[in-house]
Amino acid sequence: MSELYTASGSKVHAHKADIFCRDETRVDWHSKALWALREKRDRAAGSLPEWEQLRLLGSQLKLHTLSHLAQYLEQFEQQCLSNGIKVHWANDAQQHNEIVHGILAKHKVKKLVKSKSMLTEECHMNPYLERHGIEVVDTDLGERIIQLANMPPSHIVVPAIHMKKEEVGELFHQQLGTKAGESDPLYLTRAARAHLREKFLTADAAMTGVNMAIADQGAIVVCTNEGNADMGANLPKLQLHSMGIDKVVPNMDSVGVLLRTLARNATGQPITTYSSFYRGPQEGGEMHVIIVDNGRTEMMKDKILAESLKCIRCGGCLNTCPVYRRSGGYSYNYTIPGPIGIAVGAKHDDTNSIPWACTLCGSCTYVCPTMVPLDKIIAHHRRLKADAKRLPYGKGGYMPLVGRFMASETLMNTSMSAARLALRVLPGSLLKPFSGAWGKYRELPVAPESSFASWYNKNRSR
Amino acid sequence: MSNKHTILSALKQSALDQHAMPTIDVVANNDDLVGQFNASLNTVAGTLHSEGGLAALQQAVDELIQQNMQVISLLDGIKGNRQVPETAHDLADIDYAVIPGDLGVAENGAIWVNQPSHRVTPFICENLILALAKDNIVANMHQAVKQVSLQPGELGLFIAGPSKTADIEQALVVGAHGACSLNVYLY
Ligand code: SF4
Repeated sequence: MSELYTASGSKVHAHKADIFCRDETRVDWHSKALWALREKRDRAAGSLPEWEQLRLLGSQLKLHTLSHLAQYLEQFEQQCLSNGIKVHWANDAQQHNEIVHGILAKHKVKKLVKSKSMLTEECHMNPYLERHGIEVVDTDLGERIIQLANMPPSHIVVPAIHMKKEEVGELFHQQLGTKAGESDPLYLTRAARAHLREKFLTADAAMTGVNMAIADQGAIVVCTNEGNADMGANLPKLQLHSMGIDKVVPNMDSVGVLLRTLARNATGQPITTYSSFYRGPQEGGEMHVIIVDNGRTEMMKDKILAESLKCIRCGGCLNTCPVYRRSGGYSYNYTIPGPIGIAVGAKHDDTNSIPWACTLCGSCTYVCPTMVPLDKIIAHHRRLKADAKRLPYGKGGYMPLVGRFMASETLMNTSMSAARLALRVLPGSLLKPFSGAWGKYRELPVAPESSFASWYNKNRSR
Repeated sequence: MSNKHTILSALKQSALDQHAMPTIDVVANNDDLVGQFNASLNTVAGTLHSEGGLAALQQAVDELIQQNMQVISLLDGIKGNRQVPETAHDLADIDYAVIPGDLGVAENGAIWVNQPSHRVTPFICENLILALAKDNIVANMHQAVKQVSLQPGELGLFIAGPSKTADIEQALVVGAHGACSLNVYLY
């Protein structure tokens, strides 16, 4: 598995998925674990008669905020300042890391405890700070596991979902001195609790991500089940919070809506254990919020891509995705995997392959609590890649055509139906590169009687 | 141009149409709020004590103290055996913390807690006890966010059960970094 774990280089999605798929029992196990989350999500969603209303409200309030983003960001900053919170702005990852390092250096911070933040992953902050001599301790259990194993997260909510308990047991045995051969989750969790408690008590500063930033309050909301964000933020006197510009919401009412769907859609819980609203630093402490663009305003220039910024990072679209479940989080060439990873990461993928790591089945869009139109966005990315002549597979033969066809909005009313038609009329062997390794053991639908050649000639003449 | 102005002026090129803020008007289920709250609290691994009120809570605290537990109480009228220390780090050996809860939410078992002295108290204690007035239970989060008090400069939070994780093979383990148990006393 090491080839997969390093996740470096720029291999196309299908190749990386192929590596993951070599161990078929692991793939089945991985797929089932994620499907179990989807089932829990369905039960939680089904228990609320107003579920669909909440999805619609979530979508509308996010669209409202995004279409008035400058106004809300300014209001948020103003309110923060009057609450004694220091606010910083970063155009990109580099600036973000420099700002964070600047604050930490000023306070001579040697040890930083950190809770989960996909933004700091996106900015590759840990290695940056480590190069500057700061010890960064990830404190979410899943994040700590992968940090000790020297791997990136493979899921945005359950970052070590790809690892078996025996592997965690072995890792903890080597790194934390737990008993050899011990793999009981309770035992291992308790060991991590003791190990990290010592880190919390000796940290010089804490950093968290931000689930929501409330414009009219000048407050940030952080949600965890483990309590690691709050153990961190409330022990040392210095607390830092990094957020993308898309995290702002207008008011408490908006938070009320999103907190009802976030955890239910993530893990099927009615709410996370802790939803903490920080409206200022602790007594004698300092609180900093770093607001980061890093490509988000660029996405806002494209009406379809802009909708990916409605995402609240619940992970629901990963859990339901037939491709993600069978190809693993390391096959996506981007920090965030799965459907939302394609939506926000496709432009960074130099293999140009991840928009094709998708069956356009629409399951992600169906579960999304803010109605991010993921399948539409992914199809749009295919078109952008095709228009830029950056298709992933061979230049000759029918391949570019297939790529174009799978991405086209003109051949059919929508590219989703185009893709479905493609499944019906194109030979499976032709589609295989696009279905990827995860489709190897799945038969594609049988082609109807009209031959591909006659279909091709007819349509080509259009 | 400052970073802030670069970002704000880039937003002027946004392709999104203007969208109005929706009206949040969701029908609430107000039947048997205590019953709903109890059921939700069970799902998030907390335990409700609905009989006996604060007297039952003091009795429970006294028993804990007899078992040599370190108990701190931030609730008026309930006496523990530890005082609020000078620095937050000195709370590391607290076995039980008793903290007033302001508001309960029936749909999810969450309880709003307002800025405790030493913010870390509800997280760092081994076990957490919250006290909640029966009349302060609302049906859902829409009502809750309207009623909670979050003053400038403060921390306020919803707590739903003890800390937990399922990061190792999705096996639920109660007691991750925060409290390992949550008992809620209704009064
Ligand atoms: S796109 Fe939707 S389903 Fe996917 S992580 Fe974001 S909010 Fe959740």
